[in-house]
Amino acid sequence: MNTINDQLNRLFRAARATPEGLAMPPFGLETRALAAWRESVLTGAGVPFWSGALLFRGLILAGLVMLVSLWPVINQTSNTDPFAEYFQLADSTVQVDNTP
Amino acid sequence: MTDAEVTACLVRGRAGDEKAILDIFHYMYPHVTRLVHANLPARESAEDLVQQVCMKVMANLHQFSGKVPFLHWVSRIAVNTCLNQIRHEKRRPELRLADLSEDEVMVVEHLATTANELDSADQVGAAELVAKLLDGLRPADRILMKLLYLEGNTIEEISSMTGWSRTMIKVRAYRARAQLRRRYLLLMKEKP
Repeated sequence: MNTINDQLNRLFRAARATPEGLAMPPFGLETRALAAWRESVLTGAGVPFWSGALLFRGLILAGLVMLVSLWPVINQTSNTDPFAEYFQLADSTVQVDNTP
Repeated sequence: MTDAEVTACLVRGRAGDEKAILDIFHYMYPHVTRLVHANLPARESAEDLVQQVCMKVMANLHQFSGKVPFLHWVSRIAVNTCLNQIRHEKRRPELRLADLSEDEVMVVEHLATTANELDSADQVGAAELVAKLLDGLRPADRILMKLLYLEGNTIEEISSMTGWSRTMIKVRAYRARAQLRRRYLLLMKEKP
């Protein structure tokens, strides 16, 4: 049967690439490759710390930590009691006065 | 070079033998070149990408644990780099018979009129036709079709090379194959 699937299979079989010969790296790539290896040895890990993906994730995490730490302050300033600050100020003044 | 030899070279490399690291580099370079050229559209600069992949492999050689074959580990880096490169390219329009060269039209004729394998004279036309059919697929599907049908890798090998799960590969292959059939059927319908 010469179905579409059979035709596609025969097409792929005919199109399969023949094995390539040994490709030679361009001039200077060996030196740069060794330099990349030496750098990874010096940093002690396979990925340099300024790797784009790590840096991006680090920035996002730092932003989240800042947001979480600022949330109580933001929440506090949105308090509608007009005398809240005065009570807090008076309370802190009393505490200072009581210290020996 | 076997995987055991790669591991031995890596151990010597960590001890300071840079010639061993160069041996690994020369071993993986033809494989990277073949993968990148096979998976990148002809209009893209493959040489730059080959060098980019090589640098990534060398910078991350420390992370090779030996749990997967070394060339599969290299392939994973190469495939993901190619995918990042071609991910944002625009989808090609539908393939029409008028878009095909004479050789490619001959291939379509031979496929439709006979159940025999294509002969060597049709090889070039077949390769070009396959490239045009695959061009209309999503980048990841295109790479999968090449790994599966052009390079003859098994699902397990592709999973090892790409990091994709076997289920994802099967689903993706089924969907891509259906799309290929649809593109090929469009050509057949236009045939006089």
